[in-house]
Amino acid sequence: MTFISRRDLLKRAAVVGAAAVPANAGRPFQGRHDEPDDEPERLALRETALHGEAMAPREPLENLTAAEADLVEAIVARLIPTDANGPGATEARAAHYIDRALGGALASSRQTYTSGLAALDKYSRSSRGKPFTELSATDQDSILIDVETGAATGFTGSSAAFFNLVLNHTHQGTFGDPYYGGNANFTGWDLVGYPGIRTMVTAADQQRLEKKDLRSNHKSAYDYEAFTKATAQNRSRRSPHKEGA
Amino acid sequence: MKSAVCAALLAGVTLAAQTAPQKIAVDSPTLRADQTMPRDHTPDGRNISPPLTWSNVPASTKELAVVCEDPDAGNPPPFVHWVIYGIPATAKGLPEAIPIDPAAAMPAEIAGAIQGVSGFRRPIYRGPAPPPGKPHHYHFVVYALDANLNLKPGLTRADLLAAIQGHVIGQGEIVAIYERKAP
Repeated sequence: MTFISRRDLLKRAAVVGAAAVPANAGRPFQGRHDEPDDEPERLALRETALHGEAMAPREPLENLTAAEADLVEAIVARLIPTDANGPGATEARAAHYIDRALGGALASSRQTYTSGLAALDKYSRSSRGKPFTELSATDQDSILIDVETGAATGFTGSSAAFFNLVLNHTHQGTFGDPYYGGNANFTGWDLVGYPGIRTMVTAADQQRLEKKDLRSNHKSAYDYEAFTKATAQNRSRRSPHKEGA
Repeated sequence: MKSAVCAALLAGVTLAAQTAPQKIAVDSPTLRADQTMPRDHTPDGRNISPPLTWSNVPASTKELAVVCEDPDAGNPPPFVHWVIYGIPATAKGLPEAIPIDPAAAMPAEIAGAIQGVSGFRRPIYRGPAPPPGKPHHYHFVVYALDANLNLKPGLTRADLLAAIQGHVIGQGEIVAIYERKAP
């Protein structure tokens, strides 16, 4: 089941891909710098103390709760799934992008995520008898279709608005510049065959591109001196951008 | 003038050659005529397609098609919840829960069937989600066709009805009801 055709994936990647990510998205996803360096280990010990058995350390979350993060992970995994086309939003770490961005450029959507995720899971339990994360992939797709079409109940306003919001953010997290925390290891750009940011394209590059033979250089815009974070911040001050809910 | 007369005569001959479609008896293990549909066939439950059975299908049937439509909704009505065609003439009905995954195979008894495009713009069954206020009626209409039309994927109800015009030799339906209450 797909929520977006391959042709639409390519179109959206062209729009979202290189630099069309909300300004002020913040520093790259590197974890919280105000926490001790042994944070993952401390979290693991806490989990062990709580559950009485060893658990793998969880990557620190910045804005979502653990339950919300699990739900977002499950949702993005269905929106752009790992399949015969290749890796998807999971490998691109789109959920981590969303978690990070909800503290910055997407902060205005934080409450929408709180209420929307709660409504989605409640709808899953009431209609399918299980939390969303415990459903099969097919049943998860069925839920998401109902949310997408507005047939799901319990949402503030239409469930379709929440679906479109999460889909949009999943696209950002999959195809945006890795500088902003998603598109991990350039997974999204490789998925759609985007050869990477280039400030110069030679005639040979163009010929290879037309033959679909131009290998990705796996470079972020911010690998180039002209696209430093300071430059991005200066530009955002001159043209403030606000993310709609 | 002569050509207009000829055309009119031809039309008359064509219409006269057509008889009313044979009435197909449509039933279901889960739906009851004019009664509330089980919630598992709606988004309030599992939202799976209902099982249908049919009988009294004309012997010369080559394939069948089914449409689920709600005449109480849509602009203009009806709102279409399901389109499925290319059903083998050997099928005695549709099993429950036709796959929503396009990669999944159709059940063996309806191998080759194609799900068309509904009002939700998806090639799958999506059940009733009427706005609260009044019950809606959901017509599961079965068409028996006199030819294998080799219909392509992606047909809407309107496309299907245009394609099968002149080929319908049997028709029947079962109507179920569903209502959502205000929260």
